[in-house]
Amino acid sequence: MVEDKENVENGEQVSKKGAKKLAKAAKKAEQKAETASAVAANNAGGDSAEDHASGRYGLSEMIQSKDKRSERNFVPVSELSGQVGKGLVWVRGRVHTSRAKGKQCFLILRQQSSTVQCILAVGDVISKQMVKFAGNIPKESIIDIQAKPVAVSGKIESCTEQSLELSVEQLFVISQAKAQLPLQIEDASRPENADDAEGLNIRVNQDTRLDNRVLDLRTPANQAIFRLEAGVCRLFRDILTEKGFTEIHTPKIISAASEGGANVFTVSYFKDSAYLAQSPQLYKQMAIAADFDKVYTVGAVFRAEDSNTHRHLTEFVGLDLEMAFKYHYHEVLHTIGNTFTAIFKGLRDNYAREIESVGQQYKVDAFKFLEPPLILQFADGVAMLREAGVETGDEEDLSTPNEKLLGRLVKAKYDTDFYILDKFPLAIRPFYTMPDPNNPVYSNSYDMFMRGEEILSGAQRIHDPEYLMERAKHHGIDTSKIAAYIESFRYGCPPHAGGGIGMERVVMLYLGLDNIRKTSMFPRDPKRLTP
Amino acid sequence: MYELKTLLPQFDIKLPTCMYPLKNVSLAADSLASSSPSSASASTSSCDDTASVAARQEKVLKQLEELKEQLGQIRKGLGVCGKTIQHTTAFQNGGLKEVPLQDVVINGHPNFIPYALLALKNAWRDLYTIDVKTFTHSTMADIGPAAREFEANLAKVPVNPALPKISVTLIWKNCEHTEMISSPTMYVPIYGEVNIIRYLGRVGPAEYRYEGSPLCNEIDLVLDICYQLLRCNTHKTQVAMVRLLDKRLQQQQYFGGSQMSVADIGVYSSLIRMPAITDKDLTPALVAWRKRAKLVAQI
Repeated sequence: MVEDKENVENGEQVSKKGAKKLAKAAKKAEQKAETASAVAANNAGGDSAEDHASGRYGLSEMIQSKDKRSERNFVPVSELSGQVGKGLVWVRGRVHTSRAKGKQCFLILRQQSSTVQCILAVGDVISKQMVKFAGNIPKESIIDIQAKPVAVSGKIESCTEQSLELSVEQLFVISQAKAQLPLQIEDASRPENADDAEGLNIRVNQDTRLDNRVLDLRTPANQAIFRLEAGVCRLFRDILTEKGFTEIHTPKIISAASEGGANVFTVSYFKDSAYLAQSPQLYKQMAIAADFDKVYTVGAVFRAEDSNTHRHLTEFVGLDLEMAFKYHYHEVLHTIGNTFTAIFKGLRDNYAREIESVGQQYKVDAFKFLEPPLILQFADGVAMLREAGVETGDEEDLSTPNEKLLGRLVKAKYDTDFYILDKFPLAIRPFYTMPDPNNPVYSNSYDMFMRGEEILSGAQRIHDPEYLMERAKHHGIDTSKIAAYIESFRYGCPPHAGGGIGMERVVMLYLGLDNIRKTSMFPRDPKRLTP
Repeated sequence: MYELKTLLPQFDIKLPTCMYPLKNVSLAADSLASSSPSSASASTSSCDDTASVAARQEKVLKQLEELKEQLGQIRKGLGVCGKTIQHTTAFQNGGLKEVPLQDVVINGHPNFIPYALLALKNAWRDLYTIDVKTFTHSTMADIGPAAREFEANLAKVPVNPALPKISVTLIWKNCEHTEMISSPTMYVPIYGEVNIIRYLGRVGPAEYRYEGSPLCNEIDLVLDICYQLLRCNTHKTQVAMVRLLDKRLQQQQYFGGSQMSVADIGVYSSLIRMPAITDKDLTPALVAWRKRAKLVAQI
């Protein structure tokens, strides 16, 4: 109604109220415009207030090997403490966390297991835009920074490099990460602190970890675990090479299942089918018969067991060795035992930092062993179990709980996590095991245990083809299926013995971890085929 | 007073036939004390009793052996697991079963070498075997030359397989006290080298077992002084302990009389561990004793 009135009196004077209203509106608009322009002026002042650092930061173009830039001196984060006060250095690493507050930005740079704090503060060198840019870099992006290492008075608890920080002068993003990460590295590396009720309790599920293995492997504990695994392999090779062993590589595609037969993978082989090798046993022995005397092999082993347990994988790395001996298989037993002891000593002396890194996330009990290694007879082990109240037969195989109990008993008595059990009963060993000449109940076979779990099963092999046929018949095995195996012994073969271990299991037991998937980089089990 | 009627009437108790009557022990003792001729008869009757019990036991054991043989025959006939029939010696030595002694684990630090083991090995070389196997624990990086020499000396002692033996596993470890563990389930560790000597003394040859002898307290006293001697840090306290030992030795040939005993072993091996105590600190009696003990201990 009121509008109608005003519309009618359009050209004429507007009513008093109307005029007042208009005046108010005009004033408001004016004020708005003023503040807006002031803010804009400020912002513009900030944004365009000459970005004096404009050439010193930003998204670098994709590195296509355009420039060599060999004048840039890159220093690893672990060596930064030696560079304090020596001027500018370049560092490439990942953004672990970055937070900008006002005129400062704190950025933690991570390189494998080391982290260092980087600081950007608005000043002559750094502009406000640069600080803002640094605060917005997504986590896990790879950046190059040029900075001056500066000593700090107080200790920086949250980084591995605690006594210094980097004062950044140039910052370029080499590879930007997606903003939304499927898992946070901080969560994945949080220790399992059950008694710290106040601490954050966010953990990452094992399945999530294994699905996003690329991110999960970046945590310091995982970096340490796999470097330790590399150490185990390297020590195994070095120690055996020093003892005069030769490395061989055995085929993994074979025509007939060697042990058992139920647990092999079948592959289609042109018009036929073939199997994936369960163990390099047969070929190791053939190499001995071929006069290589002492051999070892490091390669994949495939077991098609549908076991979903904490210590079984379908594919793992097997470290196997076989050795010819003169008169007594103890020559081989002591060689294997001493090899293990030397591996443990090497890990204890050279990989202490890695063991400590793992210990920060998972609780690790130091691994104890004796030198020379402890060798007990199977009968003694059974006697120890009986003394502890467990009923077990003289020729009965050790069940898993009995194995664990025996491990604990040996630990309580001798304080060692590694021991060898010699002279197993013949009835529970495969057909190619040489029986004990003095006592037909027992055989020349042995098992080695770490932390109460079996890691190696070995024996003196029967090298006489006639006796081998006899034993095969005794076990009810069809000799036509193993004709090729027996054939290899017909042309003179020295007495030999050996054994094999699973690398992942050894690392898992050495560190005292609870699941073998933690020690396999891309594990394979009945339910997992990717990544 | 008035008479009470008997509550239970007299009735005949039928004695069971599966039991045998025991001679009343106290009556026999009474009769022994009272008259000598009757004592002879009583003692012979008690001898008869023990003889009859022994005869019964032998009969039972014989029956057991026969049953075992029958079982063995049946087993053989059926071809059931080829276990050999275990012939027990129980029949022969009157029901006593001989079991080898539990093996022992001794944890020691290479800086505090348990010389007592070597001394006992040498002292008992014709009586008893102590089979020592040495290991180095992972907490110990290097055991040092003295420990290695000790290991070499241990290996040098000849072993007579006919003698009874005990297996000792010696582990060089970074531990505070010398300790001995006999069994993991009944885990009661024994601390201190002197106490290990006491244990070995009790399971060793009869000549060195001192529990029953009248010198028992004396020997224990000397061993206690050794225990304290090993814990002395300053030279003054060590010399004070040496004086105590001298008081115990007096004019005897060995601590505890004219025969070598575990006390001598204890003092001898403790003195080796204290190179700070020179011949000057020892009295002439102790020096002479040391020469005598060295002949037996041979370290």
